Amino acid sequence: MSVVCPITLDLEKLKSEVRSIYAKVAENPQGDFHFHRGPVYAARLLGYDAAELGELPAAATASFAGVGNPFLMDSLPAGATVVDIGSGAGMDCLLAARRTGRTGSVVGIDMTDAMLARARASAADAGYVQVRFEKADMTALPLPAESVDVVISNGVINLAPDKEAVFSELYRVVKPGGRLQFADIVVATELSERARNNIDLWTG
Amino acid sequence: MIEVMHRAGFRNARACQFFDSFLGTTKEALARKYGVQGANFVAYKAS
Repeated sequence: MSVVCPITLDLEKLKSEVRSIYAKVAENPQGDFHFHRGPVYAARLLGYDAAELGELPAAATASFAGVGNPFLMDSLPAGATVVDIGSGAGMDCLLAARRTGRTGSVVGIDMTDAMLARARASAADAGYVQVRFEKADMTALPLPAESVDVVISNGVINLAPDKEAVFSELYRVVKPGGRLQFADIVVATELSERARNNIDLWTG
Repeated sequence: MIEVMHRAGFRNARACQFFDSFLGTTKEALARKYGVQGANFVAYKAS
């Protein structure tokens, strides 16, 4: 099955559309979108703990737009360095910080200014000093080689035109013995060239 | 996705769980047509 985007796809337009959509989600999570958002969705369809989500700042959970649950696969060890690719409003980063504790380090990576602003405010509001957010493209992470214990992500890597580049970069930053545990979209049917050229289908 | 992770150097990549992430959305029918779901993945880097 194809994992690369069509050569005719306007990559800058795709990036711009993704930023635009998720800026709207950050600024107005109750708006009209084609995908679910928020803590009720996360608990009802993705297995998140509703009580735990209730303890996080609403600004972080309201804009959550993940597609799975990275926390179901394995526990995050105390003291671990965790990176969230496409951290959005920061919900998964705050959950990771609860698990890794004050001796851990959590870095959220996102390219949308509105989401970064929301995430930073939520982390400060929640008092998680061990969480920081960086603006970056997931193919060029501002992280040293072999510095990360666990990479998480939730519904983001599917938005990357060049997934080979993304996973090569993730391999660079993950420590020997480290791992990926992330959620993303899968498609059972090979998409037509026309469908893969449709930016609306990329952005949801 | 699994193949891409393995080509990058990760090992034992697999999908673990699946989610009906588009249930009840305006894209539910399209998701069913193409078999679109959310999925959890794991992959490991050798020590």
